[in-house]
Amino acid sequence: MTKLFTATSAMTLCIASAAMAEAPSKADVLDTYANIAEAKYDDSLIAAKILQTAVNALIADPSDATLNQARAAWIAARVPYQQTEVYRFGNAIVDDWEGKVNAWPLDEGLIDYVDAAYGGPTDENEFAALNVIANPSFELSGETIDASEITPELLGETLHEADGIEANVATGYHAIEFLLWGQDLNGHGAGAGNRPYTDYVQGDACTGGNCDRRSQYLSAATDLLVSDLEWMAAQWQQGGEARAALLTNEDAGVAAILTGMGSLSYGEQAGERMRLGLMLNDPEEEHDCFADNTHNSHYYDGLGIQNVYLGSYTRIDGTPVSGASLSDLVIATDPSLDTEMQAKLATTMQALGRIKSTAEAGFAYDQMLEAGNAGGEALIMGGVNGLVDQTKTIERIVSTLELDQIEFEGSDSLDNPNAVFQ
Amino acid sequence: MRTIPFVTALLLPLTAMAQDRGPILDDVTQSHILPRFAQLAEATQQLKAAAEAECAADAPGLRDAYHAAFDDWISASHLRFGPTETGDRAFAIAFWPDTKGFTPKALSQLIAADTGLDDPDAFAQTSIAGRGFFALEQMLYDPAFAATGEAEQRCAVIRAITTDINRNADAIAEDWQSYALVLTQPGADSPYRSDEEALQELFKALSAGLQFTSETRLGRPLGTFDRPRPNRAEARRSGRALRHVELSLVALRDLAARLSVDHPDIATSLDAGFNKAITRAQKLEDPVLAGVATPQGRLRVEALQQEINDLRAIVATELGPTLGISAGFNSLDGD
Repeated sequence: MTKLFTATSAMTLCIASAAMAEAPSKADVLDTYANIAEAKYDDSLIAAKILQTAVNALIADPSDATLNQARAAWIAARVPYQQTEVYRFGNAIVDDWEGKVNAWPLDEGLIDYVDAAYGGPTDENEFAALNVIANPSFELSGETIDASEITPELLGETLHEADGIEANVATGYHAIEFLLWGQDLNGHGAGAGNRPYTDYVQGDACTGGNCDRRSQYLSAATDLLVSDLEWMAAQWQQGGEARAALLTNEDAGVAAILTGMGSLSYGEQAGERMRLGLMLNDPEEEHDCFADNTHNSHYYDGLGIQNVYLGSYTRIDGTPVSGASLSDLVIATDPSLDTEMQAKLATTMQALGRIKSTAEAGFAYDQMLEAGNAGGEALIMGGVNGLVDQTKTIERIVSTLELDQIEFEGSDSLDNPNAVFQ
Repeated sequence: MRTIPFVTALLLPLTAMAQDRGPILDDVTQSHILPRFAQLAEATQQLKAAAEAECAADAPGLRDAYHAAFDDWISASHLRFGPTETGDRAFAIAFWPDTKGFTPKALSQLIAADTGLDDPDAFAQTSIAGRGFFALEQMLYDPAFAATGEAEQRCAVIRAITTDINRNADAIAEDWQSYALVLTQPGADSPYRSDEEALQELFKALSAGLQFTSETRLGRPLGTFDRPRPNRAEARRSGRALRHVELSLVALRDLAARLSVDHPDIATSLDAGFNKAITRAQKLEDPVLAGVATPQGRLRVEALQQEINDLRAIVATELGPTLGISAGFNSLDGD
């Protein structure tokens, strides 16, 4: 009896101390969040530099081998970058910049040759089929543009979002993806884009025309990606602007973490990127459509949400980065809510993992999107449902941590009604 | 002993007293939501019947029924949760904005195809871009489709679309019969764990509805000063762009009044704000918002947008905090 009593008391004590886990300071939670951002953007930069080297090798010596190496480097570069997407919506500095590196969807005919079925200019976009690689000079909003040399400046400052249209994506990962893979003309069938390496061969063996300008474009876009990532990585270093903005107000900082998690989960990933494509049954309505890498794109987006919540990220060289987390903060207020959040994040990762493993086994994301493909629909809706469901719990955390009113202050149009006129 | 509950009640802060949310949930459900979806089911039934009776694109009966049913959809279109989200029903009823021109492509394919149009189950499996009111609008009002393919085939597409709209509207109305209890009786087994979560759903419908009307219905055609986009106005082919703004504001005014019923000051300022915006919309006399392309017309549309943004500010900074509700996330988050 005594023994039993002791054991029970010990258990009670144990439970009690777990329940009363000391809350980490919000400053420490934000510090971890910023450290993870710094590591993720630095990893993205490292991977982009590897891509740059591979692209230079492709341009110097076009072959199946150098093209495949560049493609492999692009796919690897997506792994850390997609995990940064959770930083977008909560941090204005990231959101304002993000369009340069990861804008999607794009009217790729702006950049290079496309299949006849692509069509020409549309109601929405007069420049959908501009093909800057084939045109050293063109009219843009009444101005003659000299594109005789394709430079990072031309792409970033003139061509990107030309005519104020977001689908005019001239820079970033997806522009590079198109230049490495070309259009995926397989519809719902197997196979990704199949651009031949000869699109980069100089002289008579050049295919697709303008191989010199295509090489220039690929090189300029890759250099721009590297410099853009360099800039963002610096913003998260000690003393960087993104870190400073985050730490200005601790409650607003914690709210920013949750805003990023919720906005990416719900409106962006579950809605725009996954469910919409499924409802349209369009094989190219997928995030990494040229490379057929969408399963990874979604998976690492989800992983980024999870590792920000848990305050623990593993760098691309295996180095762990971790510390006081949002999860710790929730445990100290409502342990069962933390359990709920962790379980839902894990459920989502399982669902996104199923999409990834199935795609890697040969059933590509664009095949899953086909009308009437029940298996594909179930896979994608599994991810959508997980993301929608975890958003509900993210909302609960906002309420439980009493960050409700902070959230309202994050909206430009509400804070500053004049902002909408700018 | 008996006095204790009474004393406790006295000690409760006034705000907590004011937060009995049950009556608001009941009222919004019974008087705002259910009638709207019942009306939509009825109007889409008539639309389907009109298409059965005569399916020429310019048949007056069909066009009248289209306008009437579309009105009823817009008046309910802010209620995007629960039954509207099952099986992509609301997406299939109204796919807009169509930023990549999916609808004309989908319609061309449907007109060219000669199977599946008379099978509602098969049609429900096709892309949302070729279904719903916006696809029907192009079939009825876009000259490009008045001449595409054979009349018989166009007729089959129109009937398939109207049947599908009615099917989805019926399914939503039917599901709401049971979902009404889900929303008004939150609990551990419900998607709404508490009254607060159920009320947050309604609050989000109000704030996202205002956001959509301001940013998308008005913001898309407005574009920028240098590059207005009148062709992006909603349902411009059938001259309904401004009408949608007005209908949505009328519906949202009703919802806002019900949500703010316990807080007369906020209710008064919301009502005044809605009246101002609705009056301004009525005076615009610019059914397709073509004025966005002229400096003068643009100013008037921007003024309307500003009034809606003022309403959003009251909802976010006064109504939400007073109800103890946080903004939450909606489908417009993201890009």
